Amino acid sequence: MKAKWIVAGVLVLGMLLPFSFGAQALAAEKPIVIGAPLATAFLYGWTAERAVKLAVEEINAQGGVKVGAVKRPFAVEVMDTRDLEPGVPVSDALLTVEKLILEKKADFIIGGPVRSEAALAAMDHLSKYKKVSILTTGALTPLYHTRVAENYDKYKYCFRISGESKWLVMGEIIPSLVEVGKKFKLNKLFIMVQDVAHARAGGELIAKNMAEKGWTVLGKPEIYPTGTTDFSMGLLKAKKEGAQVILIWMDMPETSILLKQWYDLKVPALPFGSINAAVEQPGFFKASEGKGEYSIANVVNAGNVPSKATPLTMKFYDAYTKRWKVEPEGYGASSSYQAVYTLKDAIERAGTLDSEAVVKALEKTDLVGVYGRVRFDPKSHQVIPSVNPKEGAVGSIFQWQKGKRVVVFPDTIEGGDIVLPPWMQK
Amino acid sequence: MEILVYGIVNSVTLALMALGFTLVYGISGLPNFAHGALYVITGFIVWSLLNTLKVPYLAAVILALLVTGLIGAAIYYFILIRIRGMATSEIIASYAIGLAILEGLRWGGFKGMTYTLPAFIPGSLNLGGVEIDYQRIVVVLLGAAVMGGLWLFTHYNRIGLALRGMAQDERAAMMLGIDSDRMAILSMFLGSVLAGLAAVALLPLGNIVVEAGYNVLIMAIAVCIVGGLGSWVGAVLAAFVIGFAQILTVVYLEPHFQMVVAILAIIVTLILKPSGLFGRQKELEERV
Repeated sequence: MKAKWIVAGVLVLGMLLPFSFGAQALAAEKPIVIGAPLATAFLYGWTAERAVKLAVEEINAQGGVKVGAVKRPFAVEVMDTRDLEPGVPVSDALLTVEKLILEKKADFIIGGPVRSEAALAAMDHLSKYKKVSILTTGALTPLYHTRVAENYDKYKYCFRISGESKWLVMGEIIPSLVEVGKKFKLNKLFIMVQDVAHARAGGELIAKNMAEKGWTVLGKPEIYPTGTTDFSMGLLKAKKEGAQVILIWMDMPETSILLKQWYDLKVPALPFGSINAAVEQPGFFKASEGKGEYSIANVVNAGNVPSKATPLTMKFYDAYTKRWKVEPEGYGASSSYQAVYTLKDAIERAGTLDSEAVVKALEKTDLVGVYGRVRFDPKSHQVIPSVNPKEGAVGSIFQWQKGKRVVVFPDTIEGGDIVLPPWMQK
Repeated sequence: MEILVYGIVNSVTLALMALGFTLVYGISGLPNFAHGALYVITGFIVWSLLNTLKVPYLAAVILALLVTGLIGAAIYYFILIRIRGMATSEIIASYAIGLAILEGLRWGGFKGMTYTLPAFIPGSLNLGGVEIDYQRIVVVLLGAAVMGGLWLFTHYNRIGLALRGMAQDERAAMMLGIDSDRMAILSMFLGSVLAGLAAVALLPLGNIVVEAGYNVLIMAIAVCIVGGLGSWVGAVLAAFVIGFAQILTVVYLEPHFQMVVAILAIIVTLILKPSGLFGRQKELEERV
């Protein structure tokens, strides 16, 4: 009887042996180090960190990345750039990028820097060290990919897999506003933006284009300094001038004061957040005691709020929720996850970690990702956007409806229509 | 009317932010640069008590104020007492403590924009044709109560009178048997409670974020410099000057200049009247 058990044990061990050797072999291979410079204290940073780690865990569990004939695991080194915190100089973010490359021996960079100014400044470092980087969160400036196109040889290592503000405005926000205007007969726009470069530029661009579309833009965009704690005069002005839509472009936490005030004062204008970081998080509705209802925000890429853009969208959404016990929280989540898989695909096609070869492979990327077809413009290295997930990377504009984030634009992936607050309904 | 209503709200908001700072400086001469951190930590303590331990709102507020007061007293008892009288060291040490608290909170996971406190009374009302929410009215009433309460405390209460004695002349107060360190501990306790009180009144308007600690400190310093360091009346008056100036800027100039107003007020004050509006003792030194 005893001998029987011993034989069975040996057999089981024998069966497990190849697996354990396999795991050891993978662990023994030198990992491919992904350096992630991220503003980890801010939503766009920590959600990106979680997404990168999730993708790496999944890939490693599946055996790693095939580099030529060898399978190697990914390893992640995350460092805080602090570039979204007020008063922190751009040079701090640059030091972080350099540290990742020189000290942590990062083979590739995925993530930030998150603030546009820092991301632009980091391009020279990436070029100097010939490090392939995929920007996934925060930075929206069109200057990033314009620079690559204008000086390809120098900046060819820089890719961006998330959105950029020109497309956000022209391809998503303006069409969405026009749609809302037609549906509810709204055409008076009041613009409130934060006193930062991307928001000011975005506000002006929207004002100009909406005026051309026949809308009445009430005054110039109202610019609020970071840290503003009272928006009452602006909201009362909007109310007095008969605004029907208030366009908000702010990434500061104090935006929640604005939205609570909007709700308390029952301002009869739809709060349309082009970038509205305070609204994005799944916990916002509860935290605002329901005053976040009807608020709209753009989360840049599909997958940051639930939708069925591609078969992979909800697969990612559910995996993230299971791993981190919270739904993907906003801009930076799906794009960071997608970046790791895109890099894996490029490395496997290149068969090497050599930067020049991986750049060429990334340029030829064509795969179905979390937010649609992922391809890079071969000259500017910007992901090709679209409102159709079969053609390119799609974004998501959502509205808080009954405590849920419902995608309302683009209509190819939308989960519902925009709803007006009761005090706006005639 | 809008300017009047929201001017008062903004002014009382600034006064609430600054009163704790000016009280500590007025009594013990300590520039408490951890003031903003104490403001933020109160918010997170109330939030934790409410959401984790399910303590009723009022009890959570009282408990949080008590804890914040004790933190303030402990800061003096364990750290600042050793460097008392060395102004630069006091600034560096208190700022470092504030930084440690704020970054500690961030490190402990208190980040993001979903930490909020419920409004005391939800909804809004029309006040002479101006829409205003009840929470802002609570802010104004609480601010008035704090100012009135402080005046009564320092004029009709033995401890309050001792604190005033310290503020006027520390040596003379000591000769009369008032314990300087004990009063300094008490002033830090009260100053921290006032920072906490400002937090529980103002944070329901928005959310609790670590960055607010730095903003509150800057505004408190601006108000105190304009009003005259250590002068409670000066601080209240300066809060009204800056508060109304900010609202007028928003209405007649542009909103993005409103932060400049506070900084400009500091610069103008330092050039024209370095002692501030009510910094009488310093003014005497300046003339000499």
